[in-house]
Amino acid sequence: MKKLYCFDKSLALFERAARVIPSGISGNKNPAFAVPGSFPYFAESGEGCRYRDVDGNVYIDYLAAFGPIVLGYKNPVVESAAAEQRRTGTTFNHPTERAVELAEKLVATISGMDWCAFGKNGSDVTAYAVQAAREHTQRRKIIKVRGAYHGSQSWCRHGIGGLIESDYEHVLDFSWNDATEAEDLLLEHEGDVACIIITPYHHPAFGDQVMPADGFLSDLQRLCKRHGVVLISDDIRAGFRLDLRGSHEYFDFEPDITCYCKAMANGYAISACLGTQDLKNAASKVFFTGTYYTSAPEQAAALACLAELERTDAVSHMMKMGRMLMEGLHTAAENNGLEVTLSGPPTLPFMTFANEDNFRRSQRFSGEAAKRGVLLHPHHNWFIMLEHGEADIQDTLDVADTCFRIIKKEFGS
Amino acid sequence: MISMTSQGRAFGIASPVLQWMGLDPSPSIHDRIRAGMHLFAVLPRLTDVVRHDEEGRRIADKMRVSIEFRVLNGPRVVLSFADGRIKTRSEGKSDLGLLFTSCAQLNNMFDGRKVLPIPFKGLHKAGELSRLTRLTEILTRYLKPSDTDMQSPRFRESHVEMSLLVGLSATQQIALQDPRAERIANHLPNGTIQYIILDGPACHVVLEDGLIEARSGTIADPTTTIEIQDIDLAVSLIKGEVDTFAANGSGAIKASGSLVLADEFNTLFDRVGHYLQ
Repeated sequence: MKKLYCFDKSLALFERAARVIPSGISGNKNPAFAVPGSFPYFAESGEGCRYRDVDGNVYIDYLAAFGPIVLGYKNPVVESAAAEQRRTGTTFNHPTERAVELAEKLVATISGMDWCAFGKNGSDVTAYAVQAAREHTQRRKIIKVRGAYHGSQSWCRHGIGGLIESDYEHVLDFSWNDATEAEDLLLEHEGDVACIIITPYHHPAFGDQVMPADGFLSDLQRLCKRHGVVLISDDIRAGFRLDLRGSHEYFDFEPDITCYCKAMANGYAISACLGTQDLKNAASKVFFTGTYYTSAPEQAAALACLAELERTDAVSHMMKMGRMLMEGLHTAAENNGLEVTLSGPPTLPFMTFANEDNFRRSQRFSGEAAKRGVLLHPHHNWFIMLEHGEADIQDTLDVADTCFRIIKKEFGS
Repeated sequence: MISMTSQGRAFGIASPVLQWMGLDPSPSIHDRIRAGMHLFAVLPRLTDVVRHDEEGRRIADKMRVSIEFRVLNGPRVVLSFADGRIKTRSEGKSDLGLLFTSCAQLNNMFDGRKVLPIPFKGLHKAGELSRLTRLTEILTRYLKPSDTDMQSPRFRESHVEMSLLVGLSATQQIALQDPRAERIANHLPNGTIQYIILDGPACHVVLEDGLIEARSGTIADPTTTIEIQDIDLAVSLIKGEVDTFAANGSGAIKASGSLVLADEFNTLFDRVGHYLQ
């Protein structure tokens, strides 16, 4: 039997980190959100769909750096494009020609969009999107789905740490798939709502993913038109994994603004906000800048990544691998007398155990899988990348079978 | 359920009259929350004094009275002493009543300052107040222990359990009254959280439809389990000195089960320190 992984160096490094970094590791990458003690904390390297942690443990990786790695780690085409750009420099006084090329490429690729602005992280562009919507409509309120994640800016950040009530005073929530509730909010705040921001499908942490109900997205689109409200599609997590033209093509709706980040440049720090022509003037009035927003190597990497996604028909392959994983996990669970729910689209799958709302079995399953070389998060959706092949999925299913046996033995059902 | 008297009116006295009398008709949120915590999180720990302390038990055995603490234009609570046990309720009759003219006055008393509440009924039972005073002195000893007391492992364990119960119970006032926590409190999930201190006591919290109840001991099949490696860490945690995310990562605190519940509740728990020392 293969020796189970241990995480001694991760733990030792975390102790050092905790002395000088608040929380040791901040945000969703903090060990508390996974399985502390049974999950890696610190990275060493990655290649293809394999990720190596600081202890030297190698995993078939389904976290993909929480989404950015869409082609696979160290993709030679992307790395070479970024390296080529770096030879001339990284960040300059002004943008390079890459900025214009990338904006042109994205406007040509993403359907219905006429302009593009760049940031570094998803939060940069979701914040910019709502500000552009406010400028365009001259209104204050933002309507979002309860439990949806749109980044770590004050208006949408989880929790209350560091926030004051006025940070989220103009943010209203409604339930996913309930267009009537959204309409009620629009009516209640008639003339004061700037935008509705949604993810193309609902992918909350700590829960099953929920696809849009028939007519839900088109209902929202219709409501936005009727009330003069901007519809923003936050495609940061799902973008380029469902349809290169934008997830709104996959789900057949027409947003006014779309936001991208994760899978855009295969791990390079860049994000983009795209919008329709009639919002361009308003967007130009929002002062949107950051020291590294114009860094050229990331833009070169994005250009190369988008070209590779097209050339390889990556979405089709990832869909196929995702389906194999989802069906295989379902069968493996069933064979072990367990019932699981596989949710979300095949390229962004997630699994929960049936009739369990406290995630204890998920936590145990993920911890055991990590000790056996497969990285599956217990609380957050997973990501398929182009480098995942059938052999990797089969190896994953073999490990999953062992883990299901452990769950069955320990929890009974 | 905690009942609060309505704003601006108490005992039928209108706000302008209260103001004319030099009283505070609309206490600050801070004072209100502290008063609520003192009455509904600290005072109920007298039941634990009876459980943990021999002298406390002897005193309670002799008491058969219900004592009301009422804040003018603020909360009220009744402590019932019978058969050596103490029960806390926010409604119903009392034999003896103490009126505090403001939340601030009540808070001053709990902060250890000299305060003279107004006895408004049951003067013939005023003798019971000296026993109550002694019980509260014992409670204070457990909640604010001396270094000498803390040398005793048994005392330390009692101190930690009572302090933890105060902190956990106080979250109810945060959920009800703290404007900064409203965002969390409005969507607080139902469930149970088990706190286990590995070399010490266990407590648990039951959250149901916005009501939060903290109890000592364990509960079957909790929604979330939080294991704290030792009493020292628990003491630091109660004082708000612990980076809980770092402690989780290092394994000093082990949270399992619903982390959503743990996270949301911890947001309330974290705020208790802004009101109670």
